[in-house]
Amino acid sequence: MKRSNIITTMAGVILLAMITFAFMPAPKKITIKGSDTMVILAQKWAEVYMKSHPEVTLQVTGGGSGTGISALINGATDICNSSRPMKQSEIDKLKERYGSLGVEIRCAKDGITVYLNESNPVNELTIKQLSGIYTGKIKSWKEVGGPDEAIKLYGRENSSGTYVFFQENVVKGDYAASCQTLPGTSAVVNAVKNDKFGIGYGGAAYAKGVKHCLVKKDDKTPGYTASAETIKNGTYPISRYLYMYLRNRPTGEMKSYIDWILGPEGQKLVVDQGYFPVK
Amino acid sequence: MKKLSLSILTLGMILFLAPSQAVKAQSGTDTLAPQVTTLHDKVVGVEERLATAESSLDKLTKIKLSGYIQAQWINYEQSSVYPGNYFMIRRARIKFTYEPVNGINFVLQPDFQPGNITIKDAYVQANDPWIKTFSLWAGKFNRPNYEVEYSSSSREVPERSRVIRAIYPDERAIGAKLEINPQKFPLKIQLAIFNGNDGISITNPAFNYGTNTYDAPTTVGQNTDFDNAKDFMGRVTYAFRFGRVGGLTIGAHAYYGKIKANSLDVLNSDYTYNKTNSSIGATVPKQWIGFEGQLYLDVLGGLALKGEYIWGVNSTPGYSASASVKSSSTTGITDTLVVSNLTTTYIKSAPAISRKFSGYYVYLVKNIGKRNQIAVRYDYYNPNTGIGNDKIGTKDGSYDAKVADVTKTTKTDYSGSGPVVETKTMTKTTTANSLTSGTADIAYGTWTFAYSYFFTENIKFMVGYEMPMNKKVGTNDKGVGNVVTSYTVNNVKSTYDWSQAVKQNILTVRLQVKF
Repeated sequence: MKRSNIITTMAGVILLAMITFAFMPAPKKITIKGSDTMVILAQKWAEVYMKSHPEVTLQVTGGGSGTGISALINGATDICNSSRPMKQSEIDKLKERYGSLGVEIRCAKDGITVYLNESNPVNELTIKQLSGIYTGKIKSWKEVGGPDEAIKLYGRENSSGTYVFFQENVVKGDYAASCQTLPGTSAVVNAVKNDKFGIGYGGAAYAKGVKHCLVKKDDKTPGYTASAETIKNGTYPISRYLYMYLRNRPTGEMKSYIDWILGPEGQKLVVDQGYFPVK
Repeated sequence: MKKLSLSILTLGMILFLAPSQAVKAQSGTDTLAPQVTTLHDKVVGVEERLATAESSLDKLTKIKLSGYIQAQWINYEQSSVYPGNYFMIRRARIKFTYEPVNGINFVLQPDFQPGNITIKDAYVQANDPWIKTFSLWAGKFNRPNYEVEYSSSSREVPERSRVIRAIYPDERAIGAKLEINPQKFPLKIQLAIFNGNDGISITNPAFNYGTNTYDAPTTVGQNTDFDNAKDFMGRVTYAFRFGRVGGLTIGAHAYYGKIKANSLDVLNSDYTYNKTNSSIGATVPKQWIGFEGQLYLDVLGGLALKGEYIWGVNSTPGYSASASVKSSSTTGITDTLVVSNLTTTYIKSAPAISRKFSGYYVYLVKNIGKRNQIAVRYDYYNPNTGIGNDKIGTKDGSYDAKVADVTKTTKTDYSGSGPVVETKTMTKTTTANSLTSGTADIAYGTWTFAYSYFFTENIKFMVGYEMPMNKKVGTNDKGVGNVVTSYTVNNVKSTYDWSQAVKQNILTVRLQVKF
């Protein structure tokens, strides 16, 4: 067989395969994995959407943003929920494996709330103080206007997007070795609820039975809690977008589902669940 | 009355039994107390052991392991390759990454082959903890180039393109690198300095040992430098994003290096004489520049178009090999003793040559669904753009110089009470210095087709077909190619006539496991 014939045959096979696969029907089961911060919201979205679209199955699991992104890269999930943007190294992996840069969808906003025990007399902390507390430089509540008691640190595991976001925007260094890492924001809230001198951080939607600490940008600015208003006008210093990531542009059922999330019904659920809408 | 009697009886039983229950409860508490203490001690013990285990586990989590194995069956069309098909382990690598503190990585990646282990990567990487933009590397690591840095486990075709294999042999080099990669700006700058001889086999001149001269070509070890000159590399890339449609990364890289000529003579790319070095330690240039681009589009799934064009000058060191014959004889003529020493040295040497080259590669990769990937690549490499195909292997494409024989004779007469001693020392040196263009100067265009199927995230099956096409050299007046190479397989001698298209396609069927 002549070389030119081999090349032509190969090119024909490639073209045929592309056309065949391009028109294959999209699956009706969609798997969603990732951020623990977003899991209650994602579950609510799925629950409500499946009621009006019984032909679609949505399977939602947590595990953390890092876990979700890994699952997206290795093909174990269709949608990844993430409370932090994808890193360049993660995008590079997507490029290598799928020839795609991935699709980023901002689907909600969140204010990272600092949790304190309700009996703790401390009400507000600056970003600098929070950094000092979580890096271990500030060890006693006395140093920030509280009782002379050791500060007990609670935080998330390093696969968590909240862990990464809080480290990059608040801690700005390594977490203190004494920081107890817990699986999920609920566990952090529970730990602080049961520890008079505990402090934790996580999504605003989870803060039940604990005190919301007022967060100040610096000594001169007033302290704020995360609210629709403070997040919208940017006065709450530790707010962030919540993301959904896909390997490719959504089509079929997946596109319908994402359009619905970004629409009025999906965004209303964002507010109902204690998060903040994108717009 | 009956009811009253029953009530009195019940009350009596309660009064009788109550102290007994209280005593029993008291007794139970007394019995439980030591058990609780024992259990408490056990829990404290478990907690202590858990703390110790956690501490040990923390150390282990600082070590990350990854790697892959590529087992393949390969079939060569080329008749000079025997056996022409066989199973082999192409790559078997485990990458150990140890991060003792945040931002400092120690990386070691050996490649395991049956009967052989080589170190592919061995470096320290220090990332700046403040603005997370700079990282410093030292050790052995990939040279900064797109196809070089693109992992073999991710590559869509079995092997790298010919031009990259030629100018970056073994991909890795020993040196240091500074990477500037701002977190929120899609710019990446890499600046590196290397020994420069990595992956290149260099023949050293012959050496003298005692009174003997040895024909001793040696290959410079991969872990040591060959000269004092260091090679510099720089690469800059910038990534554009087109919303959800895709993105484009463009970049350029440059190589500025020198290598010891290892010969007094240096040739131009067209095999004409260039210059004479003052010593074999003088250097010849290795300088080139390349432009690259990677376009990613979401067209019914991922589609990538990637390419790079590189051109410049690459030099090959020369060599000097010697052979010597030393003989001595003693003869007596009346009262004169004649001692003759004859040394014949034949020095076969080759000049260094600086070849202008150019090459490029273009990939088209289409992902179909999560599991299928199709790739087509065309790559071209002309190792010597300074010489036309018709001149390769001819007198016009060669350099041949002979240095005249040198003969020296000394005669010493000793007169005295003993016999007269006459010593004749003769030294004859012949130097041949030549280099002819040949297969090393032939350009290639290569089509490669590959299909990959991802069984799982860890297991990939690939079929690759590589079609190298040599540019044809000219023929002599008898119609025979100017470059003809011979080979022997199973005691049968055959030849390749490079004025024809030599069959050398390669089929690879590969199974890869990655973890």
